[in-house]
Amino acid sequence: MVDITGQYMLNLLLNGLLIGVIYALMALGLTLIFSVLGIVSFAHGEFYMIGGYVVYFVLQRFTNLHPYFAVLIAGLVTFVIGFIAERLLLQPLAKGEIERPAEYAILITFGLAFFLQFLMIAIVGPFPKKAARFFDLPEISTDILVTTATTLRIFEVPLSGNRLIAAVTAAILISATIFFMAKTWLGRGLQAVSQDRQAAAVVGINPLKMNTLAFSLGTMLAGMSGAVLVAVFSWVPWVGVPASGKSFIVIVLGGMGSMPGAVLGGLILGVVESLGAGLIPDPGRALAYKDAIGLLIFALVLLIKPTGLFGRDL
Amino acid sequence: MSRKIYISVFLLVVSAIILSACASEPVVETVVVTQEVVVTEQVEVIVTQEVVVTEEVEVIVEATPVAGRCAPMSLDEVETIKIGATLPQSAPGSVVGGLAMQTAFNIAVDEINSGGGILGKDVDVIFYDTASLPERGTAAMEYLITQECVAAVVGEYHSSAGVAMKEVSKKYHIPTVFAETWNDTITGVGYEEVFRIAPASSIVAAVDANYLEALGLEYVVIVTENSDYGIPAAEATTEQLAAKGIESDTFSADIGTQDFAPVIARIQAGETPEAVLVLLTGETSYNFEQQAAEAGLMPTAETICIANQVAINSEEFWTNVPDGNYCSFRKVGLVPSLANDVTLAFEEKYRERFDRFPESYALEAYDSLMLMANAIETAGSLDPDEIIAALEATDITLAQGRYHFPYGTQNPVPADQPDWMWHQWPDVAVLFLQYFEEGQSADDAAVVWPPQYQTHDTLLIPFGESP
Repeated sequence: MVDITGQYMLNLLLNGLLIGVIYALMALGLTLIFSVLGIVSFAHGEFYMIGGYVVYFVLQRFTNLHPYFAVLIAGLVTFVIGFIAERLLLQPLAKGEIERPAEYAILITFGLAFFLQFLMIAIVGPFPKKAARFFDLPEISTDILVTTATTLRIFEVPLSGNRLIAAVTAAILISATIFFMAKTWLGRGLQAVSQDRQAAAVVGINPLKMNTLAFSLGTMLAGMSGAVLVAVFSWVPWVGVPASGKSFIVIVLGGMGSMPGAVLGGLILGVVESLGAGLIPDPGRALAYKDAIGLLIFALVLLIKPTGLFGRDL
Repeated sequence: MSRKIYISVFLLVVSAIILSACASEPVVETVVVTQEVVVTEQVEVIVTQEVVVTEEVEVIVEATPVAGRCAPMSLDEVETIKIGATLPQSAPGSVVGGLAMQTAFNIAVDEINSGGGILGKDVDVIFYDTASLPERGTAAMEYLITQECVAAVVGEYHSSAGVAMKEVSKKYHIPTVFAETWNDTITGVGYEEVFRIAPASSIVAAVDANYLEALGLEYVVIVTENSDYGIPAAEATTEQLAAKGIESDTFSADIGTQDFAPVIARIQAGETPEAVLVLLTGETSYNFEQQAAEAGLMPTAETICIANQVAINSEEFWTNVPDGNYCSFRKVGLVPSLANDVTLAFEEKYRERFDRFPESYALEAYDSLMLMANAIETAGSLDPDEIIAALEATDITLAQGRYHFPYGTQNPVPADQPDWMWHQWPDVAVLFLQYFEEGQSADDAAVVWPPQYQTHDTLLIPFGESP
């Protein structure tokens, strides 16, 4: 039985917050797609996977390139793939050309997920990849903070430098997205369409184009979250499957279609999973319960507050 | 009157004579009739029933010994000999392992067919993806046996699938050689159809415990996967360590887990382990090892890193665990220095696809198919009983060495041997290697256990030092 000390709790909390920020970035794209298109994309995790691979191969090919350029390239690639996918597969849905739209949306995004996953297996193979560390941490040694190239220790609590860099990058991307949505014409246009498509059309916003933009931006955010994590986790073509699951839990917790909800939901999920796995009395099974904790939250939210923390009333 | 009286008396006398005759005759008539009827009916009924029963039994034996199984019994009835091969080709299974095994099977079948096949018949290998899932393992066997009509099955990487598959082998009486499934129960149940050329978990656990004891350790953490391989392997290791007075704690995680931060924090919050033994596999093991290195858990001067055996894929290991220098790892199967002619010939072909010495699961896949082909050729038949008898009598040298199965139907496992020795190849080599330079090839890693194979005269190269 582990001693529950303040240092241990701080360790769990900080690790939970770091992974929570990344969950939030993953879920942000999914919630954007849902709020504008009104569909849940089951291919979200595959864009996350592609983003990671783009960074890995770009940094392999251009070894001197700044990793953040590679992250931007990953965003661009996943934006373009999302753009094409929306135009080819989802526009007929938005135009009312599909007889059973709800079933179509589920099946077409599932199909896209399988297609992308197996396409990547064919292209890059099943071998695990991992991008090199984006940066080495600067060497610091004080009473509170000690760092090495790979590890940061704050109050003796060890944190992975890789994970810290990924979380900070994710936080920057989340801020940029929120700024884009709140302060730019396109962002406001997306919000308008998500609130009332007809009213938005009346004031000159083309809902079909906003659909394309929302899906492309959503896939881009998924791709960029994968891009920042490919230096943290080993990358395989099916790495997006659990990421998709986490994103669904986050947006249900935060409220389907709510961007602040996605951010808060991600942080809550990260912290609760970390605390749960760290405090469950049975150490042998603690980590195995981590995903179960997320699913428990998912079920409880659906039972108690189906609209989530920030969701619109049903 | 008197005339009437005479006539009446005469009739009475005649009647009396007739009645008296009748009174004695029924006994005679009854016996005769009864005998005739009984004898006739009994003969007819018994003969008819015996003929029907005999015919039914003969039909069943000649057509299929087990319902559902469709493989012919005779080589004369087939143009090619179909053998099933199961392996993981999709997640959550080890796709990397599956790809290596498929390559090895293809090399084996090419060799068999280019050499004239088995008794003049080409071999056709039918692959099935089990994805490490028990239900897929069962489906694979059902499909291969009842739809593809394979005469035998070889392969499999994951115990989770293998444990389920062995039941179907038993159900259809299909000879099966498991290549890389370690769970003790696979052979421990004693099915006559099931053979194994991989180590049982208990064999590996014993080697692990011996190595850790030789290092003089007192407390070890085991990180394992929630699977039919990981849990029994951790239990066996814990038991073996306890017998040697070494304390241990076990932490388990699902296959495919990415984030190990909470469990690493938990380990770090407790007593500092002298070694962390990783029983996770595939990319899951890489995730744990790198995150543990980044968190300063292992490898360090205080804590030895014993990585999973997949670390032997050095290029992949260094890509995924760049901070894993000084990690030891288990190597199951032959080391290059002990390679025989069969190994070298296989290695040459294997390197055309993967430029490295074949992993244990590749060698095992190759050998399992060769072993089965040899048994069918020796049996001269597709009759499972004859193939099983030939497998039990195996004495052949293949890529991993000389194969033999000391215990089986002719020589049951004695009481002083564990149950899993049934149809178990006992001579599996298990070694420990250690990297001591970043980016080092597994071919150059130091062999640290067992002592007779040590390349640097040491059980462990201390963290941060050169040998």
